[in-house]
Amino acid sequence: MGDTNSNNGNNTNTNNKKPEWLQQYDLLGKIGEGTYGLVFLARIKSSTNRGKSIAIKKFKQSKDGDGVSPTAIREIMLLREISHENVVKLVNVHINHVDMSLYLAFDYAEHDLYEIIRHHRDKVNQSIGQYTVKSFLWQLLNGLNYLHSNWIIHRDLKPSNILVMGEGDEQGVVKIADFGLARIYQAPLKSLSDNGVGGIFCVIGRYLVCSFMKREIVSLVFGLTFIVKGEPGNCLRARVRRGKALLRLQGNVVVTIWYRAPELLLGAKHYTSAVDMWAVGCIFAELLTLKPLFQGAEVKATPNPFQLDQLDKIFKVLGHPTLEKWPTLANLPHWQQDVQHIQGHKYDNTGLNTVVHLPIKGPAYDLLSKMLEYDPRKRITAAQALEHEYFRIEPLPGRNALVSPNGDKVVNYPTRPVDRTTDFEGTTSLQPSQPVSSGNAVSGSIPGAHGGTLRSGPRQMPVGGMQRMQPQAMQAYNNLASQPGMGSGMNPGGIPMQRGLPNQGHQQQQVRRKDTGMGMTGYPPQQKSRR
Amino acid sequence: MAANFWTSSHYKQLLDQEDVDVVHPLDKEKGITLEDFKLIKLHMANYIWKLAQNVKVRQRVVATAVTYMRRVYTRKSMTEYDPRLVAPTCLYLASKAEESTVQARLLVFYLKKLYADEKYRYDRYEIKDILEMEMKILEALNYYLVVFHPYRALSQLLQDANLNDISMTQLTWGLLNDTYKMDLILVHAPHLIALACIYIASVLREKDTTAWFEELRVDMNVVKNISMEILDFYENHRMITDDRIIAAFSKLNLKQ
Repeated sequence: MGDTNSNNGNNTNTNNKKPEWLQQYDLLGKIGEGTYGLVFLARIKSSTNRGKSIAIKKFKQSKDGDGVSPTAIREIMLLREISHENVVKLVNVHINHVDMSLYLAFDYAEHDLYEIIRHHRDKVNQSIGQYTVKSFLWQLLNGLNYLHSNWIIHRDLKPSNILVMGEGDEQGVVKIADFGLARIYQAPLKSLSDNGVGGIFCVIGRYLVCSFMKREIVSLVFGLTFIVKGEPGNCLRARVRRGKALLRLQGNVVVTIWYRAPELLLGAKHYTSAVDMWAVGCIFAELLTLKPLFQGAEVKATPNPFQLDQLDKIFKVLGHPTLEKWPTLANLPHWQQDVQHIQGHKYDNTGLNTVVHLPIKGPAYDLLSKMLEYDPRKRITAAQALEHEYFRIEPLPGRNALVSPNGDKVVNYPTRPVDRTTDFEGTTSLQPSQPVSSGNAVSGSIPGAHGGTLRSGPRQMPVGGMQRMQPQAMQAYNNLASQPGMGSGMNPGGIPMQRGLPNQGHQQQQVRRKDTGMGMTGYPPQQKSRR
Repeated sequence: MAANFWTSSHYKQLLDQEDVDVVHPLDKEKGITLEDFKLIKLHMANYIWKLAQNVKVRQRVVATAVTYMRRVYTRKSMTEYDPRLVAPTCLYLASKAEESTVQARLLVFYLKKLYADEKYRYDRYEIKDILEMEMKILEALNYYLVVFHPYRALSQLLQDANLNDISMTQLTWGLLNDTYKMDLILVHAPHLIALACIYIASVLREKDTTAWFEELRVDMNVVKNISMEILDFYENHRMITDDRIIAAFSKLNLKQ
């Protein structure tokens, strides 16, 4: 980032212990945390963007003395390359050389689908308006189509990773967040004619290389050659190592399986973009019913991704998959291995329409059922979904998903709670800190954020709408320089999206990176189970 | 874009050769010439490869690490960024970026092990130094970490040209590996580097690829120039001796 600053470690401003780069922000407090570290809300001080809210994700130095976490590296790597209205925007990266911590600054999004769904379910007791659901879904698909067009699979889509912008220029705009598990699954070769040159063609014969040079080349080539052989073995080792790392993670982490595609649950080795579409289907249903569609109980402490209960929940609603409908099913390891359990029960009837209360002939149901197609190769793609009839009938989707042009009642969603007792180091201040409202530090004091632990923190937070605390990642943030119109930015590379071109087999389980530690035990139960 | 070269940060960062061939003023002060500069980078590319052999990572990780190292020295001096630390750290960072993380502990172990090879007697750095340098390199790279390598293009092109027999595959792959001993990856699009390798190999193996190249509609002048550069490199490589490398290094006058 061109304007990246860093603390050179010699900054000894005794008056203000903040590193230099941090002084461009007013830190408001903590808004989330995960295994990777903490997320803070801050506002920009500089005159150009004064008051603009920024979410700063701080990555902890990994405990095992291994520098910047690979998750952070991967997230930065991807976010530095992508730019789309429906994908969070990384606005800056900061490094604090003193404590070796890394900070990613994102545009701040006030809401996310998890909180919006929860608000409707627990507070307003009313479903989300049709316009809003459709707009959320369209924008989610629009962002996903962009990612898939660029050969990026998210792999961890779920309501809490789908952010929605609060008041401002981009109100109601959806932003896909949290790319810690995302990966590039294929680096395709662009057609050669696209290099913009063409035309000039110079035929060179075999005379370019003189015969006397040949011998030299041959000997040198093999004298200098890097590793040519041994690729597969090394890949495997890397995979095994990573598998172990993930296992370690699972110990104190909640793994989201509710949005996991059936092929993964059945042990498919490769991720394709279709896994994201399954998750979108689950999210679509959840937006309609306010309940997770397939709420399987997770089997913990298994090294393989086999989750019988999750599969059972899916089969109950969608009926059993069959080899006729899904031919490659036969190749999936768990389908073969666990005949008794998986193939034993038979749910024949598809009860999806009754679960989501949709007319079976309507376009909404049609789209949903295409997203929840068992065979990943037949599952609808993001590009196809955007063209679906559902989006062509009233109410049409809009850019501001929260405010319908038809003048429907606007739901006021609560703002994210901010734990103002936690500083950038992640330590809870002993002194009551100054809470902030709408822009700048103002009056009011925390009624005793004492004790030095986070345990009692949330209940004491002074700002209204503080009924929830987000123990997990509030991870990502959006695009300030928004492109006008919703159709912009799609597939800029013009690469057709393809399926079934998996990367060379890095299998990875989806892991919910939620920290159950950190003294968060005082939280209401539903927050603990947040997915 | 992460997977489209033409919209990627890699493409946007491609440099002209003249901009790559600039010795940092701080290094110049110490008498480092352009030749020295190239020599040290070549030597460090070899060092990265040697380390990689020990820690056992994929070729792709090596290629990314070398690319990082070369990118760092388009911006930073060797005086401030000691190549003996930058090289292993680039491998460390690349292993994370390419999803096959190598532990710093293991890397340092092999750094020390390589001490036995007098060419790579660089063992003054510890884990802490690598972790610190990792962050400095992230900054120096401006957090652009995606690198497009010619390997994928190479295998697809070979297939397309119907040249994907073992002999051609090995030869071109070897040539391609050697291109990382030069700065080509900073200057040219990966598919053009791959084509140059195919071109050289097809001449060596006396395969007639003229018609195939014609159909590609690429700028053959560029492919030709890259090929010449590779051949020049091989030609000059014979003259490179350990003494010259040591001499170049001694000018840097780095702490022992």
